[in-house]
Amino acid sequence: MSLSSALERLATFRTNNTRASQETFEHASVIMKSAQKLGDDGAVPSARRWAVLEQLFLASVDIGRLDVADQCLKQLSERFRDSPRVDVLTGIRMEASESPEVVLRYYDQLLDADPANAAIWKRRISVLRRTGKIEKAVEELSQLLDTFYTDVDGWLELTDIYTTCNQYILALQALSHALVLAPQNPFYVLQFAETAYTAGDLPLALKTFLVVVDMCERDLDSPAQKPPVGISLRAWMGAKLCSRRLMMNSSQSASNTAVPKNLNRIEELATERVLAAYMGQKRDKAVEGKDVVVSWIGAR
Amino acid sequence: MSQAHSASWKISATAYYKVFFHAAKHPQSSVNGVLLGKEEPSGKINIVDAIPLLHHWTSLSPMMEIGLDLAGRHAESAGLNLVGYYQACERVDDTALAPVGERVAGKVKDGFKDAIAFVIDGEKIGSGEVALIPYVSQGTVWRPFSSGTSAFSPGSNFQLSSPDLPRRAISLVREQGRHKTFGDFDDHLEDVTIDWLRNTACIPSDI
Repeated sequence: MSLSSALERLATFRTNNTRASQETFEHASVIMKSAQKLGDDGAVPSARRWAVLEQLFLASVDIGRLDVADQCLKQLSERFRDSPRVDVLTGIRMEASESPEVVLRYYDQLLDADPANAAIWKRRISVLRRTGKIEKAVEELSQLLDTFYTDVDGWLELTDIYTTCNQYILALQALSHALVLAPQNPFYVLQFAETAYTAGDLPLALKTFLVVVDMCERDLDSPAQKPPVGISLRAWMGAKLCSRRLMMNSSQSASNTAVPKNLNRIEELATERVLAAYMGQKRDKAVEGKDVVVSWIGAR
Repeated sequence: MSQAHSASWKISATAYYKVFFHAAKHPQSSVNGVLLGKEEPSGKINIVDAIPLLHHWTSLSPMMEIGLDLAGRHAESAGLNLVGYYQACERVDDTALAPVGERVAGKVKDGFKDAIAFVIDGEKIGSGEVALIPYVSQGTVWRPFSSGTSAFSPGSNFQLSSPDLPRRAISLVREQGRHKTFGDFDDHLEDVTIDWLRNTACIPSDI
């Protein structure tokens, strides 16, 4: 593996927020070794080196190489004294081996000094959640979101907490804030559709699955000619599931969403689109599982 | 009560590896799937295969319902039953069968009375021990299986087809990266060429 390709790969991970810890660990170790050999500003510019070091730290904690993590953290805290960002890393390192009480005390200290430190506050909330103090975590997360309304990740975390507690209506409410803040992301809309289905609101789920389809396919030239790919297939399957169930029995909608008048046509279209994804070959690889999908489609 | 525990389960290499690969591929998410098998006339249940379902989010139901339905059809065409459910949690120290797990396992039980559920033991998964905690149902509640002998020890109701499976699974992941090409229903919905029902390419050719 060459140095430049490793650097490039890690830069992509940073941009996309990819948590491929094992791979990050391998790439970053290569880079840190050459950086040491070539001297400070040799092959790896210093700004990049620190970014890689932070990445290596997080990956090491993730895969349990606390020895490497400690080396990284030592270098980072020597270079950036009193940095709030390094404080967060220190907290993460403590979470890996210290008791929750010790970690919470550390976070409390930092929050006393700076109550608006959102990163520390979020770590604190994640520790509360992990240790089963769900109510407290929800309370604090709601306060945090009152203060930092635009924190999409915060809304998604709140959604996730409600979902795992089977509080689907509250999950939908939290998720709708993420939709307002990031309306361009079809993945959140998909999550909304699936949550609505789980909450038993089939008309809302159907409508939202179709929004996902619209978001994914509206910019394609003649989308009807192409098989659905990516999450639009998932959305079409969801639409098929909802319309089929709605045709069998009427359903209550907590959100008062109307059942579309042309439900039969929607069901036909969804059937056609799902089958389109499974017909024919894709490049040189065969489409898998066609038989079971065809039989599912046909079942009533 | 003891009557319900009289069944015994044997897990094949293919089933064990698939469950292991699924957990290894997504260490920071919860994952789940179903187990396929057959009951022998003696009452012993052979778990011969596993079908991985989800890793994006496991507590929402629509894709779970579809995946379960498709997996059931696939099992039937292979002459097998859905006989169990498995899940791995996000956190290594969490070995509870989440409410979703109970629901899905309950659905499997509707079609197969001796259905079993396994939660992957995050503390043991890298150790070479059997990293599965069995859960059995008592009515609608699922409890960790308990009897005099601990699961997978000699004489237990749970056995592997070969005792070296856990160690071999670790080496298949660490040395050969077999889990990297492993795909579940979530993956398949993003790319329909992913063979989530069989995952043939991940399984070593000697089994």
